Amino acid sequence: MASVAVSKPRRAGNPKRHSDAAAAWGFLSPWIIGFLVFSGFPILFSFYLSLTKWNLLGEPQFVGLKNYRDLLSGDSELGRTLVVTLIFTVINVGVSILSSLILALLLNQNVRFKGLFQFFYYVPTIMPSVVMAGCMTLMFNSQLGVVNYVLRAIGVDNPPNWTGSTTLVWVVVAYASVFTFATGQQMLVFSAALKDVPTELYEAASLDGAGAWKKFIHVTIPGIAPMMLFNVVSCTVNSFNGAFTLLYPLTGGGPGDATKVLGLLIYDKAFKSFNMGQACALAVVLFLIVAVIGAVQFKLMDRK
Amino acid sequence: MFKAPKWYTVLQYTVMIIVALFMFFPIYWIFVNSLKTLTGISSAPSFFPSDPQWENYKTVLSDPSTLLYLRNTLILCVANTAGTLLSSSLVAYPLSRMRFRGRGVVFAIIIATMMVPTATLIIPQYLLFRAFGMLDSFWPLILPSFFAQPYNVFLFRQFFVSIPESIDEAAMLDGCNRWQAFWRVIVPLGKPIFITVGIMSASFWWNELFSPLVFINSDELKPLTVGALTSFQLAGGGNQTNWPLQMAFSMLMILPPAILYICCSKYITDGIKTSGMKD
Repeated sequence: MASVAVSKPRRAGNPKRHSDAAAAWGFLSPWIIGFLVFSGFPILFSFYLSLTKWNLLGEPQFVGLKNYRDLLSGDSELGRTLVVTLIFTVINVGVSILSSLILALLLNQNVRFKGLFQFFYYVPTIMPSVVMAGCMTLMFNSQLGVVNYVLRAIGVDNPPNWTGSTTLVWVVVAYASVFTFATGQQMLVFSAALKDVPTELYEAASLDGAGAWKKFIHVTIPGIAPMMLFNVVSCTVNSFNGAFTLLYPLTGGGPGDATKVLGLLIYDKAFKSFNMGQACALAVVLFLIVAVIGAVQFKLMDRK
Repeated sequence: MFKAPKWYTVLQYTVMIIVALFMFFPIYWIFVNSLKTLTGISSAPSFFPSDPQWENYKTVLSDPSTLLYLRNTLILCVANTAGTLLSSSLVAYPLSRMRFRGRGVVFAIIIATMMVPTATLIIPQYLLFRAFGMLDSFWPLILPSFFAQPYNVFLFRQFFVSIPESIDEAAMLDGCNRWQAFWRVIVPLGKPIFITVGIMSASFWWNELFSPLVFINSDELKPLTVGALTSFQLAGGGNQTNWPLQMAFSMLMILPPAILYICCSKYITDGIKTSGMKD
């Protein structure tokens, strides 16, 4: 269904309206200004600055591709950050799509207290990330945290220092990110989609002798595929944009650089060490990655 | 649809309850700890407040900086929501029903820019606002909203497409121009999507940390999110946090979006359904 995202405008052609063009551009003018000033120009300017050395004082000095070469060579800060960004996105998108779909499927059957369950699943989504970060810091604190208290109570002698370990910190990050900005929202979208799958299709499948699993594969999944793509796209965007808001207060990128996503690195480079050239080179890289992911996702949508 | 065996029903409810516990626990934990004393919090964690310290809330709410942060957040929420609703809906209108050369191109650019990450734009925007002398003010945070954001334009357009064109054509036969047709027909009929985008925008700004960190320096312009990072540190204790007060502050930050959700849950589901990527 190409119409998923980019449904073609209706051809209701009404030839007598010639003045429409002028009016249309009038309506569009806020976007035109916004696009030029706040995104078109900034992207181009970022690209230019990525070819310079500049610490915000004086004039930017043109250095060619040096920033990109620096990013690729040496200890490869970029490579490490890209891996971290990828892990964060995959956890976020993968786990939340799966869990929200399961929750929506469970709620789609005749469930008692449906509204109550929906409330419990949705409300964490509205928690500000800063609040979630603070709460996680308290819960996973190695001394006074409730998680380790419970672990000790059930006989774990040396419960881990969650936020101090480069691997275990991901448990904390995953717990916080999946529940704050993904699952609840996506569950609502899936619930809405599930309601719209025509019941006749299930009945027809039953007549053909399909069991619950076959019905799920052949009726439910195709029926909600458009919403699935919508969820994947919006969750990917949210992961890239929301990563900073959650991780800055939660881990600050640490321990070490274990959770330093691209957004955090750009912030550090630009506004802590004032290395604008490198920060912009990173911004360009991030832009290209998202552009490729976006192109692939929209391509997939169009094929459907 | 099918008769579920008993073991399945048991399993279903077990999974649902366990997930609910995991998902809701952080909020519960914030609430419980907001009622503890500073000494109580460092002893063995108790799951129920034995001697609830409601005055923690009073302490937080009577802190002048809390009120200042709250005021700043409210300004950002209201101004950005107003700007978003106005500009994004205006831009979406011609894309949903007017014919003009270049519409396909405009729509394609809007789709393409929908995904541009904030981190990519923030540096040049910082330089732009520096050139305008607008750093350390609300302008860099508010102004872009008044010039339409692609994602919201997209949501509005999806909804407007579902409003029959014959309705505003009828209005124009009665003598309305496009502008009047927009205000008198589309805006009233588009109420669900205006509410949905409005809620999304307000919640975004209630939550936003990145741009205030970049653009705001003065303490008196910081929003709640930035305030939450630095408030309630114990004096002289290095990085020690006064957790009960911090959690009471957190609870106050959860309440408004929770209330908004409870009041508007019907609209949120409707808005998602109707704007959610359908014809």
